[in-house]
Amino acid sequence: MNIDQIKKEFPIFDEKIQNNDLVYLDSANSSQKPKIVVDRINEFYTKQFSNVGRSVHYLAVAATNLYENTRSSVQKYINAKDKNEIVFTKGATEALNLVANTLGQSYLQEGDEVLITELEHHSNYVPWHFLRKSKNIKINFAEINEEGEITLEEIEKKITPKTKLISITHLSNVTGAILPVKEITQLAHSKGIIVVVDGCQGAPHLKLDMQELDCDFYAISCHKMYGPTGLGVLYGKKKWLEELPPYQGGGGMINEVKKDRISYGELPNKYEAGTMATAQVIAFDQSIKFLESIGIENVMKHEADLVEYGQELLQKNNSVKLIGNPKNKGGVLSFTIEGVHPHDIATILDEDGVAIRAGHHCCQILHDKLNIPASARASVGIYNTKEDLDQLNESINNCKKIFNL
Amino acid sequence: MNLKELYQEIILEHGKNPRNLRKTEGFNKDAKGNNPLCGDNVHVYLKLNGQKIVEDASFQGSGCAISMASASIMTDLIKGKNEHEAKEIVEDFLGMIKENPELKSKYLNEDEKTKLMCLSGVKQYPMRVKCATLSWHTMVSAFDEKTEEVKTEN
Ligand SMILES: Cc1ncc(COP(=O)(O)O)c(C=O)c1O
Repeated sequence: MNIDQIKKEFPIFDEKIQNNDLVYLDSANSSQKPKIVVDRINEFYTKQFSNVGRSVHYLAVAATNLYENTRSSVQKYINAKDKNEIVFTKGATEALNLVANTLGQSYLQEGDEVLITELEHHSNYVPWHFLRKSKNIKINFAEINEEGEITLEEIEKKITPKTKLISITHLSNVTGAILPVKEITQLAHSKGIIVVVDGCQGAPHLKLDMQELDCDFYAISCHKMYGPTGLGVLYGKKKWLEELPPYQGGGGMINEVKKDRISYGELPNKYEAGTMATAQVIAFDQSIKFLESIGIENVMKHEADLVEYGQELLQKNNSVKLIGNPKNKGGVLSFTIEGVHPHDIATILDEDGVAIRAGHHCCQILHDKLNIPASARASVGIYNTKEDLDQLNESINNCKKIFNL
Repeated sequence: MNLKELYQEIILEHGKNPRNLRKTEGFNKDAKGNNPLCGDNVHVYLKLNGQKIVEDASFQGSGCAISMASASIMTDLIKGKNEHEAKEIVEDFLGMIKENPELKSKYLNEDEKTKLMCLSGVKQYPMRVKCATLSWHTMVSAFDEKTEEVKTEN
């Protein structure tokens, strides 16, 4: 696999960012886009545009077919059993809200317990908090260990007879820990507990096989997966999507509308009310093609090499403290520098064209636990190289120099 | 852009050893501010005497070098000023941080102006302006006895 070649497929790397070559280490936030994805959006709007699923004219039918093509591609890519188990949303956030809201309407009862973890992104906590407010459900937190991991044992310990649902991240966007989702699901199902997975960080970097993982729901963020913004995917087992009530009401999701009664449409339309992010869905097909052309095994190998290299580099850099040291780790390097606030680090690195993120990365619970207000985070994607990490380390040294460390 | 302009010696020094980083004993005005995006937070305490003059000002909290230095310099120079003077200085400072090339307030001496101008480098870093202004907005809130937390969106 030739990374230089892959990098060339991303037009942004031809740009000078404030006179620097871009060292993009913020893919956990959002990935850059390959040219085929950008071009596809342009092509659709210039040559093929029409709304989908509404009209019978030529363009409408063609657009509908393209839209449904992506659904099939996603189904194959994540090995879902049925095409109708793929629902498009505006992002992973909406996917998780959809699950919490509809389970809250018809499945979870007052006093039921939902188990999440201290690693969760706010979008896998706040929707459950809504149910805590509206339905009096209880939220329990599985706690991280010293390495910043969530173990199967910890999950088992936190399950009570009232636990009805476990909602966990596949890969932590701060510590990089990869959770044993398959084992957790097996355990949960043996006790009749539903499993929801926030797959935002898993989907772009890990092999996905819904039938093997066997979770009930899996939320994907397309913009982190070399795809367009404004788009997410919710995978849900068919029996759940059929059983649960609709989330939003409007056009497209109905079957029959009368003054005194309304019946809802079939899957997947039932969950896709209103005009969807048509161009984004159609372009996302190219993101999947892009990932398939490289092969997820190659992606995983390359990113594992990068993390190992980056971890060693930063471990050797005194005054840098890495957050978490999970055995099973994805492409995320979060760190602090004693005496320099993460925002100062990010501003100083930016001067060299090194784009990282600083803050709590939407994980305030975790930062509270670690007793730090914020952290700096470098995260990798398929286009990163060891040279990028060398530059990161060099810019960190420059930062230390400015702060007289 | 120029990092050296942003991270001047004086800012680094105040950032590292902030003045008045404590809680004023017997304070009679205070307010909290936070920066939801960064997770920065500050709590400003003021003690006004019978003549409504700031006898002591202090702050607690955590944040980046810019926000700590800004709070440090602010609490230092606000001492001895009355509410009217303090608010005029805040206006002057906010104006300078956003657009004005210099400080105009007659309530600031040259030395104070020089110190504050060290923060003018953030102008070039729109995302960092709120780091420099959080404690200032919070101080106004303390004067006005507002109870809700200040949240800077910029
Ligand atoms: C772990 C995790 N969950 C959820 C989200 C939200 O995803 P989206 O931007 O698609 O709503 C993110 C992205 O910031 C994330 O990293």
